[in-house]
Amino acid sequence: MPELRGSHGDSPTNVLTRWFGTPDLHTLDVYESKAGGYAALRKALLDMAPADITNEVKTSGLRGRGGAGFATGTKWSFINRDSPGPKYVVINADESEPGTSKDRYILENSPHMLVEGILIAAYAVGANQAWVYIRGEYDEPYRMLSAAIEEARAKGYVGPKPMGKDFPLDIRLYRGHGAYICGEETALLESLEGKRAQPRSRPPFPAVKGAWGRPTLLNNVETLVTVPWIINHGGAAYAKFGTDKSPGTRLMSVSGNVNKPGVYEVELGQTFRHVIVDLAGGIAGGHDLKVFWPGGSSAPVLPASMLDTKTDMESLAAARSMGGSGGVIVMDDQHCIVRAAYRLLKFYARESCGKCTPCRIGGDWAVRTYERILANEGSQVEIDTLLRVSDGLQNGRCLCGLGDSAGWVIDSTFRHFREEYEDHALRHECNVGKVATSA
Amino acid sequence: MPDINLTIDGHKLSVPAGTLIVEAAKTVGIEIPVFCYHHKLDPVGACRLCLVDFSPGPPRPQTACTTPVSEGMVVRTQSSMAVQARADILEFELANHPLDCPVCDKGGECPLQDFTFRHGYPTSRIDGPRLHFKKPIPLSDKIALDRERCVLCYRCTRYYDEIAWEQELTTDERGVQSFITSQFDQPLQSIFSGNIIDLCPVGALTSRVWRFESRPWDMTHTATICSKCSVGCSVTQWQRRGQLVRVTSHENDEIDEGWICDRGRFDYTDVNDPARLRTPTIRGTRSTWSDAITAVAVGIKGKGAKLGVSLPQDITNEEAFLFRRLLDGPLKGAKVKMHGRSAIPAPAGPTMRIKEIDDARVIVIVASDIETDVPIIDLRVKKAVSKRSAKLIVVYPDGVDLDRNPQTVHIRNQKGAAAAEVRKLASHELLTNPGGPVAILFGDGHGSEDINDLAKACGDLAEKVGGKEMPLYRATNERGALAAGVARWDKLDGVDALLSWGPPPTAGVPRSVTFIAAWDHLPRPGYEKAVVLPATTFAERQGSYTNVEGLVQFLRPPIPVRSPLKDGWEVLCELAIALGVKVDYAGIFPIQRELAIQPPDPEPEPTPVLIGPAHP
Amino acid sequence: MTALSVHILDEIRELPGKYPQPRSAVMPALDLAQEELGHLTPEAMTEVAAALELDPGYVEGVATFYSLFHLEPIGKHHFYVCTNLSCALRGANEIIDHVKQEIGVKEPDEVSVDGMFSYEEVECLGACEFAPMMRFEHRYHYDLTPAKIDQLIAASKGEKLLPTRGEVARSAGGAAEKPKPKPRTARKKKADA
Repeated sequence: MPELRGSHGDSPTNVLTRWFGTPDLHTLDVYESKAGGYAALRKALLDMAPADITNEVKTSGLRGRGGAGFATGTKWSFINRDSPGPKYVVINADESEPGTSKDRYILENSPHMLVEGILIAAYAVGANQAWVYIRGEYDEPYRMLSAAIEEARAKGYVGPKPMGKDFPLDIRLYRGHGAYICGEETALLESLEGKRAQPRSRPPFPAVKGAWGRPTLLNNVETLVTVPWIINHGGAAYAKFGTDKSPGTRLMSVSGNVNKPGVYEVELGQTFRHVIVDLAGGIAGGHDLKVFWPGGSSAPVLPASMLDTKTDMESLAAARSMGGSGGVIVMDDQHCIVRAAYRLLKFYARESCGKCTPCRIGGDWAVRTYERILANEGSQVEIDTLLRVSDGLQNGRCLCGLGDSAGWVIDSTFRHFREEYEDHALRHECNVGKVATSA
Repeated sequence: MPDINLTIDGHKLSVPAGTLIVEAAKTVGIEIPVFCYHHKLDPVGACRLCLVDFSPGPPRPQTACTTPVSEGMVVRTQSSMAVQARADILEFELANHPLDCPVCDKGGECPLQDFTFRHGYPTSRIDGPRLHFKKPIPLSDKIALDRERCVLCYRCTRYYDEIAWEQELTTDERGVQSFITSQFDQPLQSIFSGNIIDLCPVGALTSRVWRFESRPWDMTHTATICSKCSVGCSVTQWQRRGQLVRVTSHENDEIDEGWICDRGRFDYTDVNDPARLRTPTIRGTRSTWSDAITAVAVGIKGKGAKLGVSLPQDITNEEAFLFRRLLDGPLKGAKVKMHGRSAIPAPAGPTMRIKEIDDARVIVIVASDIETDVPIIDLRVKKAVSKRSAKLIVVYPDGVDLDRNPQTVHIRNQKGAAAAEVRKLASHELLTNPGGPVAILFGDGHGSEDINDLAKACGDLAEKVGGKEMPLYRATNERGALAAGVARWDKLDGVDALLSWGPPPTAGVPRSVTFIAAWDHLPRPGYEKAVVLPATTFAERQGSYTNVEGLVQFLRPPIPVRSPLKDGWEVLCELAIALGVKVDYAGIFPIQRELAIQPPDPEPEPTPVLIGPAHP
Repeated sequence: MTALSVHILDEIRELPGKYPQPRSAVMPALDLAQEELGHLTPEAMTEVAAALELDPGYVEGVATFYSLFHLEPIGKHHFYVCTNLSCALRGANEIIDHVKQEIGVKEPDEVSVDGMFSYEEVECLGACEFAPMMRFEHRYHYDLTPAKIDQLIAASKGEKLLPTRGEVARSAGGAAEKPKPKPRTARKKKADA
């Protein structure tokens, strides 16, 4: 296991990462004895009614940490616990948003925390079986999670009578095989069903018709590992962290041109200056910050002048960006924004599932337009094309958010760095690294 | 549930609950363009072409094809948001689409052309290289694929998966690199493959049999009945310059729901065969009709059991009626053999209608591989199982394509023991409490079953479980011929005169035959010594068929009978007179009246092809 | 003579029963096939389809969708190097150049002359704090430098790599990694494959 790059240890806001770094935390023994593990599960299964568990999560105000930020407790309440037939909990461990590594950080440090969160959630919504959809490239996290589940099974926490409770609970694993689109809820469900992963039209929503046609709760890894703490300390205690509408803490993966890239647990409402400068050590090499993506590559960029934007969802929305996956990609003034946008558009075009027209065609068209611009064959026509494609990708045109994200890359980078685009397209030059940052 | 009231572009309308916006708009004549949506397939909202604005609703446009109407909804298809969204999507579709219109068979009945004209930007802003694929790709010897034209609406693969339950047609790769392909480039095998031609909204999937033949406006067409099997699907037959140039589907929800099988779609080229017979001949020499008919009459009169009569599977009701008069009269005692018929006797009473399969809770299929015997009924059964949760029990010795559904209960009987298995079914767990009507379809196992025993067993089962039966007759007009009493299969060995109505017997002309009279459309070996009357084909003949359900349906041939050809009923009348029977029918309608079958309704609505999607 | 071994085909046949619906077995089945052969051939995919009682076209469609399924031969050791933004900002493109040079190829998926190596540029692997990084032999390798690449190439040619903590945990943890093939019981006959 490489060194721990990120939050760990005793600090007031280390809600999730408090025990990270404890040797062998990934084993059930250490998790239970040193980190207070499985106390929440015991309390939930043996001392609480399922509705109370959901209420506690609602009180906490916890919002989904995968990207959409939907109120978790509300999502849980969409599952009708009393409807007949099987229900499922599906855990989105497909983490493929560029700049995001928090779920991997969790799985490699404390897989039991996820096991515990899953079991509590499954019990709360009336699901006997949970499926963890884990991206195929995560070999090590898969091995560790698999071992953790087997340990829990051997201890009787997973099985026909978990902790003696008459409610069978099982956790199964399903590996992805290399498709970013599987991070999208309904595409993940299609993949779980053994098909090409193309998102579905919604409604019906997964809570009504999800995995294999059954009511399904879909949550991100980080969302579920927060649940044991909430059960142990109460939802109100969790809501004391963060802001009114974005309570709690979240893990922010900071990467790019910083001195100390890592996965940092941040109380929501802190500024990005705190995250990028205080926690991640600021820009490396004596250069200056130019731009950062606050929530994975799919979040509209923010220029250096907006470094004091706060990390909560509302502040980011006001800044015309979003919290997304919490992956903070930091770029300094030695790198060209047009090249960066091009590389990201290549990503979106490559990962497009091809189901809906605008994303399928628009992503590729944008890539080819960027290529012309970067090959010094551009003109105002290419800029207009990029903006037009970007427009065609947004505002409900696409079936899922992948298309919108591609559009936001073009849109936000152009909005904040128009001059760089025009340098390339109209003047056939690149002035990055030569002059002090403008925008 | 009560109807829903809503407003679309200012028009107030009321439609049943559950109607999709795109269908509701059609009722007031508003076209919302669609590619991926098809009313017979589950909606997916993939192409994004049907984006409309509606309130109350989200601030962004939504797809009209996936959204059902709600009370008080106000839909705007002409708001600037919706108009621009449609134009943008069309622009994206055209970005890689090749400029093939002049050489593309879809031109003139192409939704992409029509929608671009009506909803797209007036000028193109596309500049730059397009994505290229090797083309055309033969998907089979009947269907060609052009991947550059494909707009990836997925209608074809969804049809294959949802309706035909096969995945030999699939999508490979991801994103803009996606393309449609047959599995591992093998030719398509399914008998249902041709429907993808009708479904494709662009010229990506085209018929190789009709390749580069004609533009739609150069053809006329009629909605008629297919003559290849007993199902009697509605088809559209297209003619140009007296040739039958293509066959496409014509939606009849009572029977075929807009699908036809490849036999009906592609097996028509014999109609245009240049070798077609045009004039009567006597032993190879051209003659007049009057001489030829006289020669036939002389050759077959008074032969009793020494005369063999071979009847085609697609003999019309009118022809069958006239034959009955002959067989009761001057040809009494003749041996009669009908092509292609099953062993099933005439039904005792009314039998189940095809559309009743939709409502069945349990479907039982015995002694028939319906995919081969009655293909379109196979699709109807598949629909009932996959979309309406019907349960399925198959009693048949070998595997059938219905086994693809893991829930199909397949009882593999020993050949000949089907009746015994059917008797056991009354206590089967699926039939003890079916929860609704039960459909029992039974064939004859192609002769391997004791059909009387089987028919009785099925009848008893139907009574016990509240079911209805459908005996699966195979020949096109088997029921009509049975009703006329001419659907026999006597052995023709030992006859010395043969009257072959239609193609010769499949077993060949018996060696004892010294006189052959044939009514056929193509020359065959041996006709140089026969009296041959040139026949009309299904594309020209008038008449009616009685399909497997007992429904009488009327042919509407696209090609008129042109002299010197004469239609079958007319020839039989003249033959009857030559044999001494008094017949005096001025046309085919008096025959139909005498048969007590209702004349057809006045012209039904033709399939709209020049406006909007060719086969929506 | 089948492309896949009898043992693997037996394992694949056992898969559908483990999932709520049998089609879910197609991804793990293709995984097993690819592990055995190195990449997926049309013959292998057809055998997987038959073992799962699915149409080959269905399996082909799934296999071609996902990036981790290789339909062309790759090197015995394949470098999955991330060149997405966080890694690109920290020198991933230079690592790519070095890899190409050291293994002697000019483009992605091209196999080195000795059949040992190939590479591809992949998208974010979820370890951005260790950029530039890559996936190689079912493990992640962090803070890449040309020297580290050289070491890995040498190690692949010779010595065994040490097990990761996760591999140790798995083998100590509990159930076997792969299910043991069960004796074949009589199954209800379905359509001829």
